[in-house]
Amino acid sequence: MRGFASTGGLLLMLAIQNLARRQTRTWLLIAAIALASAVTFAGVVAMASVTASMQVGLSRVGADLMVVNRDALTNITNALLTIEPTDSTVAADAVPKAALRGIAGLSAQRILRTDRSGFGNAGEQVDLIGFDPTTDFTILPWLSERLVGTMQPDDVILGGGRDLPLGSQALLFGQPFRIYGKLARTGSGTQERGVFMREERLLALAPAIRDRLGDVPPMLAPDRVTGFLIRMAPGTTERQARFSLLSKIPDIKVIVGDALMTGIRQGLVAVLGGLVLLVIALSTSTAVMVALLFSAIMAERRRELGLLKAIGARNRQIVGVALVEAALATAGGAAIGVLLGLILLRLFERVLVHHLGEMGIPFLWLDGARIWAAALACVGGAALIGMAGASLPAWRMGRRDIYDLLWKEG
Amino acid sequence: MLACRNLVKHYETDRGTVEAVRGVDLDVPAGGYAAIIGRSGSGKSSLLSMIGGLSRPSAGQVRIDGTDLWAMREPEAAAFRSRRIGYVFQFASLLPNLKAIDNVALPARLAGRLGRRDAAAAAGERLADVGLTNHSDAFPAELSAGEQRRVVLARALMNEPALLLADEPTADLDEQTEREVMALLQAVSHERRATLVLVTHNLALAAEARQVVHIADGVIVP
Repeated sequence: MRGFASTGGLLLMLAIQNLARRQTRTWLLIAAIALASAVTFAGVVAMASVTASMQVGLSRVGADLMVVNRDALTNITNALLTIEPTDSTVAADAVPKAALRGIAGLSAQRILRTDRSGFGNAGEQVDLIGFDPTTDFTILPWLSERLVGTMQPDDVILGGGRDLPLGSQALLFGQPFRIYGKLARTGSGTQERGVFMREERLLALAPAIRDRLGDVPPMLAPDRVTGFLIRMAPGTTERQARFSLLSKIPDIKVIVGDALMTGIRQGLVAVLGGLVLLVIALSTSTAVMVALLFSAIMAERRRELGLLKAIGARNRQIVGVALVEAALATAGGAAIGVLLGLILLRLFERVLVHHLGEMGIPFLWLDGARIWAAALACVGGAALIGMAGASLPAWRMGRRDIYDLLWKEG
Repeated sequence: MLACRNLVKHYETDRGTVEAVRGVDLDVPAGGYAAIIGRSGSGKSSLLSMIGGLSRPSAGQVRIDGTDLWAMREPEAAAFRSRRIGYVFQFASLLPNLKAIDNVALPARLAGRLGRRDAAAAAGERLADVGLTNHSDAFPAELSAGEQRRVVLARALMNEPALLLADEPTADLDEQTEREVMALLQAVSHERRATLVLVTHNLALAAEARQVVHIADGVIVP
């Protein structure tokens, strides 16, 4: 153990002294890594923030397509597609069974409009909407306020047009529910006056509804739903999806949402994918640069390395010195790069985010913990890239004959 | 103690194969002093590098105290070199950014044999052995050529080696310094009963050895 600690300290000392020996070269290496890290760090944080903002902002755009019974009513607002309450239903497995390609999100909804639920004033009309929170992408993004914790089975969410305090109790068909959250105003009547609950909870209301209404509405049958909301994957056109749905599922109609917003979302997803490739390319080029530099450094120190081996250094110690040296330089460079990146983000915030805010477009920065995680990942990643770049030249040098290292050129 | 059998060394060059050493047999007893002499390119440095574990022979065997040097795996060979062999090279072989005492301590620290403080204490003793107690904190550039060679000798002695190999250790020194360094080298090897193998051009230096090996065109000649 003592030997290990002693050798580790020695490798660190040798690496630091090697870096200090050629200060100009070391600082140039650090500067190159700092610039690459600054761009990567600022890019990753900005990209993740843009993604988070998009997830909220574009999720609110809602679905691209809606599948309902041919006789159903529908509603298209500027913001989202919503299914209007109707007794017309489609089979609950119709769209999943059709196994369509190019679907990024699929969420079924059951909607019951009734004026006998007992909710609110006597005879008040209310839309009860059952949805699956795990697949939903049109309701939860509109959640403007909610209780702490996840939505429980007996929780409901109120549409933006309703006004009851969070945590209070409401009765629906004689059964108690807790007000868990409230949606922002959407401009869609169904959303505004809706009471949203888990679909299994809505189905469980069926006996109570039958007692009060005399029969069970068709959308409360386990194998039926009011309709499906669909989000298309990038690369899928509305025409392809629509044709495919109509050809595979009988007696339905397919409603298309805002094609412009769909295009924008698909385009942004593609751009973000491109940015990821750019970061990968930048990291790879940095690794190649470090490898080239360390090839030159190793060649320059050939005799010194031979000397170290002659007096007992093992191959792994030779490699170790190079790796520690590379890790110190690249991690140091990355740490400086993170600071530069923070300055870049500050500029980004002042210029772009400020203008977005003025236009009413929200921009959500990553929280502090995630920014710290990104910074640490950047520094750690740079150290790994540095070590990866230095490892091959160091390993090759470590394996050479000591005599060659001491006395031969090249 | 040192036994070489049928040592051969070939080098591949752009102009073909060079036979640097061709079937050398050599025995040096424990505590002995052998001088290898020969003209430039005769193969004496190649022979010494095979004896010291620096260059793998194309064929043949090197045994030190019965251990086949080239049969060992890399980590064991490195440990053996560190523990049993001390080198004095023909060039200034000190790490420029390390103080004299750190250069001397290096073999013990690389081997993980001693911690930093213990290695520094032992290195201080070795520097005292070569008369450089007052220069332990000096960097190589602050030392004269003769002092640098003494530091190299102190480093070679750091792990109490059984075999001391010196490849033209006084090549770039003036006559007075050369005599001092050689006297020191012989004295410390004698005190420690280390076997000393010296490669030199200098016939006068070689004459002081108990065993003189003349090598020409890669073979030992009478």
